[in-house]
Amino acid sequence: MNSLPAGMFVQGNSFIHRLDARMKLPLLIGLITAVVNTDSAAGYAAIMAAAAGIIMLSELGVKTALSPAIGMYPFFIFIFLMNACFFSTEDTWFSFWIIHPSPYGVRQGINVVLHVLLVIIFSNVMTCTTAPMEITDALKSLISPFRIFKIPADQIAMIISVAIQFIPVLFEEADMIKKAQTARGAMFDSTKFAEKAAAVMPLVIPIFVGAFRRADELSMAMEARGYGGNRKYLKKSEPLHAWDYAAAAAVIALCLLQTVIL
Amino acid sequence: MTTVKKSIITAVCIALCVVLPLAFHAVPNAGPTYCPMHIPVLLCGLICTWQYGLLCGLAGPALSSLFTGMPPVAYLPSMMVELAVYGTLCGVMMELVKTKKVYADLYISLAVAMLGGRIVGGLAKALIFARGEYSIAAWATGYFVTSLPGIIIQLALIPSIVFALMNSKLIPERYPKAAKA
Repeated sequence: MNSLPAGMFVQGNSFIHRLDARMKLPLLIGLITAVVNTDSAAGYAAIMAAAAGIIMLSELGVKTALSPAIGMYPFFIFIFLMNACFFSTEDTWFSFWIIHPSPYGVRQGINVVLHVLLVIIFSNVMTCTTAPMEITDALKSLISPFRIFKIPADQIAMIISVAIQFIPVLFEEADMIKKAQTARGAMFDSTKFAEKAAAVMPLVIPIFVGAFRRADELSMAMEARGYGGNRKYLKKSEPLHAWDYAAAAAVIALCLLQTVIL
Repeated sequence: MTTVKKSIITAVCIALCVVLPLAFHAVPNAGPTYCPMHIPVLLCGLICTWQYGLLCGLAGPALSSLFTGMPPVAYLPSMMVELAVYGTLCGVMMELVKTKKVYADLYISLAVAMLGGRIVGGLAKALIFARGEYSIAAWATGYFVTSLPGIIIQLALIPSIVFALMNSKLIPERYPKAAKA
């Protein structure tokens, strides 16, 4: 593959790159909460302005920031049509069999598409501007209070960090396997259950075998380098900077604006 | 299996919780029908122990919601509860059930976990997440009728995946044959 897989870290020195990952993770959750609470035109305008500002500050470029969302356009069309045609049976424009397009359905379709689209964009900017090790350390720092319950924070942080790094790799592999099986005649869009099931089997087993092979190689490499589950050293975490607090204030203001005013 | 290998397998299963539903998007209405996110969680519980299955069940849907917006945040807590029970029960049952036949162990563990997860998921919805708006009919329809193709595919697929992984020597055999002299 010549193109960079979506969600992969892109080197840079932008404002968003320099934000501390310990702050970026809760801010991402805050932004997602703001997106979920949005259902008015003014609310979407505010969130989209925030998304445009974040993309500009990240210096990633519009194409990189939007690439995973652009690749999912058939899915967006599908969920929009599902909502527009099946969501409501009141005030319909017309009814045909089980299809009832209505203004409520269209509104709901736009809501769902915009919610998913914005969540994907914010998550993509986060993973593109944060090095995997920074995510690991941030996760470890955020879940470290649970150590008092004997929960292995280091190990959980490592597992989640490895999982995040595996997502683009496995997605590409799954896509390749799907294309290969389609070329061999797999009928994913057949209406018959037996044919659909028969198409799913050769798709899923190679995905799992390929993924477990990668897991086997990685675990062997980690063990060979002496990794035993816990890091023996603890990196002293740096204090947060003024710009981290400024970013937090901006996201809190956006959440309040969405919840209270818009 | 070492702790490191179990951790990495869990990480891969969590990543598959994000990737598999996207791969299934080619099939219309695949989410509720085929339940693709259930497969890595059940597998993680079966192969690693219950602690890893629990983590996979909690982190898989959370990461998927974070990265793809699916499942929507409104459905996320009940789904996390359901998947966490799947992963945990699979691991617990694999430790408890030892019939000396791998298929029997797998099917007993899977059946108990799939039933237990659906019961706990339904109870969580009825008592916490959709209090007063949830009925036995909605539970039976959502968890058994709509997802019947998913249940059949999972029961057919998961033991096959476990055997494929054992044959590829990617996971240890459950009942290793005695070495020939």
